[in-house]
Amino acid sequence: MEAPPVTVMPVTGGAINMMEYLLQGSVLDQALESLLHRLRGLCDNMEPETFADHEMVHLLKGQQGQPFLLRARHSLSSPTDPWHLRYLGQPEVGDKSRHALVRNCVDVATSQSLPDFLNEMGFRMDHEFVAKGHIFRKGSMKVVVSKLWRVLVPGNTENTEPLSLSYLVELSVLAPAGQDNVSEDMRSFAEQLKPLVHLEKIDPKKHT
Amino acid sequence: MREHGRGQREEKQLEAATESLISRVAHLKNALQSFIYKLEHEYERLTWPSVLDNFALLSGQLNTINKLLKNEKTPSFRNQVIIPLLLSPDRDEDLAKLTEQRVPVFSHEIVPDHLRTKPDPEVEEQEKQVNAEAARIGPDVAQKQIQTLNKLCSNLLEKLNNPREDRDSENAAMRQNKQSFNPADTNALVAAVGFGKNLSNTMQTKCRPPGPVAPGHPGQGPMMTGGPTLQQVTIGGTPSHQGAIGGPVAPQQPGQPGKMPSNIKTNIKSASASMHPYNR
Repeated sequence: MEAPPVTVMPVTGGAINMMEYLLQGSVLDQALESLLHRLRGLCDNMEPETFADHEMVHLLKGQQGQPFLLRARHSLSSPTDPWHLRYLGQPEVGDKSRHALVRNCVDVATSQSLPDFLNEMGFRMDHEFVAKGHIFRKGSMKVVVSKLWRVLVPGNTENTEPLSLSYLVELSVLAPAGQDNVSEDMRSFAEQLKPLVHLEKIDPKKHT
Repeated sequence: MREHGRGQREEKQLEAATESLISRVAHLKNALQSFIYKLEHEYERLTWPSVLDNFALLSGQLNTINKLLKNEKTPSFRNQVIIPLLLSPDRDEDLAKLTEQRVPVFSHEIVPDHLRTKPDPEVEEQEKQVNAEAARIGPDVAQKQIQTLNKLCSNLLEKLNNPREDRDSENAAMRQNKQSFNPADTNALVAAVGFGKNLSNTMQTKCRPPGPVAPGHPGQGPMMTGGPTLQQVTIGGTPSHQGAIGGPVAPQQPGQPGKMPSNIKTNIKSASASMHPYNR
C-alpha cells in the first residue's frame, strides 16, 4: 500500500482542519463539590455524566526530528464502547488576541485492536494514565473535570494512585480553523467560574 | 364699605389663583396628552430614557400645582362652595365646548359625579373602619408596631443595597480561608496530560540524559524501560514501516516545532493528487 494509514485517515475522516480550543485549570479535591454545583447551574441541563477512561500515549520516533504522538483512549466503565484515537498538533499559544490555546485535532473512533495495531506499526507506548471525572456541556463547549491516576503496573488499570490532590479542569471547543470567536465565549464562560477555578491558556512547554 | 373692599380683594385673589391654576392644569393636560400619544403611536421608537423624561415632566408640573395650592396668597379653594343652580336634561353647546365635548349635558345624572367633594360611600365606610381600628390600638402598641416595621424595612433595605458587599466579603473570606485551587497542581496536571510528566510506569528512567530528540518536546519525558533500545530496533528492524509511517515525520526540521499538521496536509494533497487520475 502506498499511502500510509496515518495520513490516509484524515482524508477519509475529512476532519483535518478541526482545531481544538483549550483552557486549562485545576481545582482542589475539597472544592470539587462547589465547582460541580456551579457547573450544573451554568451548563446545559442534562443528566450528570461521569466517566472513567484509560489513556495510552503512543510514540513513533524517526531518526531525527520530533516523535509522533497518538493517544489511544478507552472507557473503563463501559468496555464495549469503541476506542478513541486522537492526534493533537503543536499548541499555538503566542497569539495574544486569542484567549485560548489552539491546536490541530483529529479524532477517530476505532476498534478494540487499536493498541495492537499501533504496536505493529512501530508505535511504542510512552506513558499511560487513568482519568476519572465528570463531563458538562454548554452549547459547543465541553467542560471536563477529571482526576488523573498514575498506573503503577503497566497495563493494569486496577492498580493506580492519584497523581495529585487536585482535579484537572479543561474547557474545550472543537471548531474549524479560523473560528477565533469561540475563544471569546470560552473566556466569558471561564470568567464565571472564578474564583473557584482559574482557567487559562497554559503553554505545556513552559513546564517541561 | 371696608367689608366690601375686602370682599373685592378676596374675589380678585381668587380669580387670579383660579386663572393660574387653570393654566397650570392646561400645561399638565398637554403634557399628558402628548405622552399618551407617544405611548400609543410611537411605542416602537420610544426609548426608556424618553419615557422617564416624560414622567419627570409630569411630576414637575404636579409639584408646581401643589406649590401653587399651598401658597399663602392662594385663597383656600376648600372654603368655596359650588351650588348647581340649574339642572337641565338638554344638550348645552357652550358647556360641551368648554369641556372639549366631555360633558355635553348638565343634568341631575352627572352632577353628583362631577361636583362630588366626598369619597364614595364604600370608600368612606372603609376609611371609618380603618380609623376605628387605629383608635382601638393604644398609642404604645402603635408605636411598637411602627418601630418593628421600621426595623424590618431598614434591614431589608440594607440587604437589598449591599448584596455586592456581602458577596465580595464572602469571596474574600473564601479566598483567605481555603484556596479552591493550587497553581502548582494545575501545572503538574497539565504537564501530565500533555506529555506524561510523572506518569511514567517506571521511575528509574527519570534521570535519563536528553536524547537526540528535538529539545523541549513532550516526548522527551521519561519513557518505558528500554525505550531507547526498542526505538533503535524499530528504526533499524522495520525499515519498510519506517518509510511508510515515518514519512511525515522524517523530513521534519528539528528546529521547527509546530509543523506537524502542515506535513500531513501536504501528504493529503499529494495523495489526492495521485488519486485524481483514477477519478477521471
